[in-house]
Amino acid sequence: MNLAHVHLLLNHVPTIGFGFGIGLLVASLVRDSADLRRAGYVVFFVVALVAIPAYLSGNAADVVLRTGKELQHDVVIAHQNAAMLALIPMEIVGLASWLALWQSRRWQQPAVLVLSIVTFVLMARAATIGGQIRHPEIVAAGAAASAPSWPSPAAMGAALVLDHPWVWPICEVFHFVGLCLLFGVTLLVNLRLAGFVGGFPLAEVNRLLPWAVAGLAINVITGMLFFLAAPDQYTQNSAFTWKMGLVLLGGLSLLYPTMFDEEPGSTAGILHTAMTRRLIGVCSVAIWIGVIFFGRYLPYLGTE
Amino acid sequence: MASVLAQLEQSALGTWIHESGLLYGYPLILFLHTLGLSTVVGLNVAIDLRLLGVASRVPLASLDKLFGLLWAGFALTAVTGVLLFIADATKHASNPAFFVKLVFVGGGVTTLAFLRRRVFHGDERGRFLAAASLACWFVALTAGRLMAYVSEFIS
Repeated sequence: MNLAHVHLLLNHVPTIGFGFGIGLLVASLVRDSADLRRAGYVVFFVVALVAIPAYLSGNAADVVLRTGKELQHDVVIAHQNAAMLALIPMEIVGLASWLALWQSRRWQQPAVLVLSIVTFVLMARAATIGGQIRHPEIVAAGAAASAPSWPSPAAMGAALVLDHPWVWPICEVFHFVGLCLLFGVTLLVNLRLAGFVGGFPLAEVNRLLPWAVAGLAINVITGMLFFLAAPDQYTQNSAFTWKMGLVLLGGLSLLYPTMFDEEPGSTAGILHTAMTRRLIGVCSVAIWIGVIFFGRYLPYLGTE
Repeated sequence: MASVLAQLEQSALGTWIHESGLLYGYPLILFLHTLGLSTVVGLNVAIDLRLLGVASRVPLASLDKLFGLLWAGFALTAVTGVLLFIADATKHASNPAFFVKLVFVGGGVTTLAFLRRRVFHGDERGRFLAAASLACWFVALTAGRLMAYVSEFIS
């Protein structure tokens, strides 16, 4: 299995997942159900996380296909730009959904719903162009694969880094700032979760969680700029694959303290026991240490 | 001075760090340096945010326990930092970013020690110290991260 295979596995998740999330959010409006609404936010957050490796593995698939020389490269470029145009609002929806799970506000539901529908349309467009790569029979005769009027954020991001020599170092600085925010705050929250520090409710230390998510957002943005500028440095590197897999798990691990921060009372189920909390706390810290490990070993491991 | 630096670099330890392969030596030390610094800086940032008013209902007495981990993280960063310096002594000693980093790491650690004495075990609110701590770590991170680019630029 190579990364092109990973792209085939993941590439339907953003479109179908967002369709599903929109359905849940609409149903929550109709039935006025807080549970359905939270389920919708969870779907959006998870799909926004999965969309990152889905995008990254697409570049690897491009490398594999390029050797075949049988496809039109301009369709691939159009697909990549359309995918990035959809990925940006998708990450914003993911972020807004996390915020809504962390602290519910009245305006969040309509805002997330509108933006998720726009995202869905953009992602469906990216998926359609992607389908044309392997299925030229669905391209209408004479229709250009890409309308030139659409913005190309992927190309713009690459140009930003490649045209200005100071952008890469600045991004490196902020990648470390984001890393410290994310690692430090999650370390404290997970130490509390695992019971290594105590004397206050989990919900109180969770006030710090948005700073961890801000760190994650900084690192997704700066990391994506590195990737856009030098994709082959990453897609051909197994340490990067491991790092991205662990980032996905780390992102998912944020959901537990976000959603289950009430104190384990008499109704505590398996999700709230001290043992579960300790396990999740320890695993989350281990996951982020793994992310740092593979990030640091990236230049040394995995490049054959 | 220059010969001392060169001797450090060419010592058995200096050579081992560079030549012990992809899993041990240089990459491992670099990873541990990053792990240590993200523990110290990250936890310190969380404490600073608490002192600046985020999660203000978390009692400081509970966070006092974190200092063991903070000093352990700092020890790991310092030891691996010395090893990284030995491996490239002449290069780092001629790099202004390296000295900026050292000064601000010193500032960050001193501020942390002050925070413990005056805020955790004293009666100050520590807002100024927390802001100074954030500033020191930001400059230290920036200078540390830019070391590679500065040394490329001046050589």
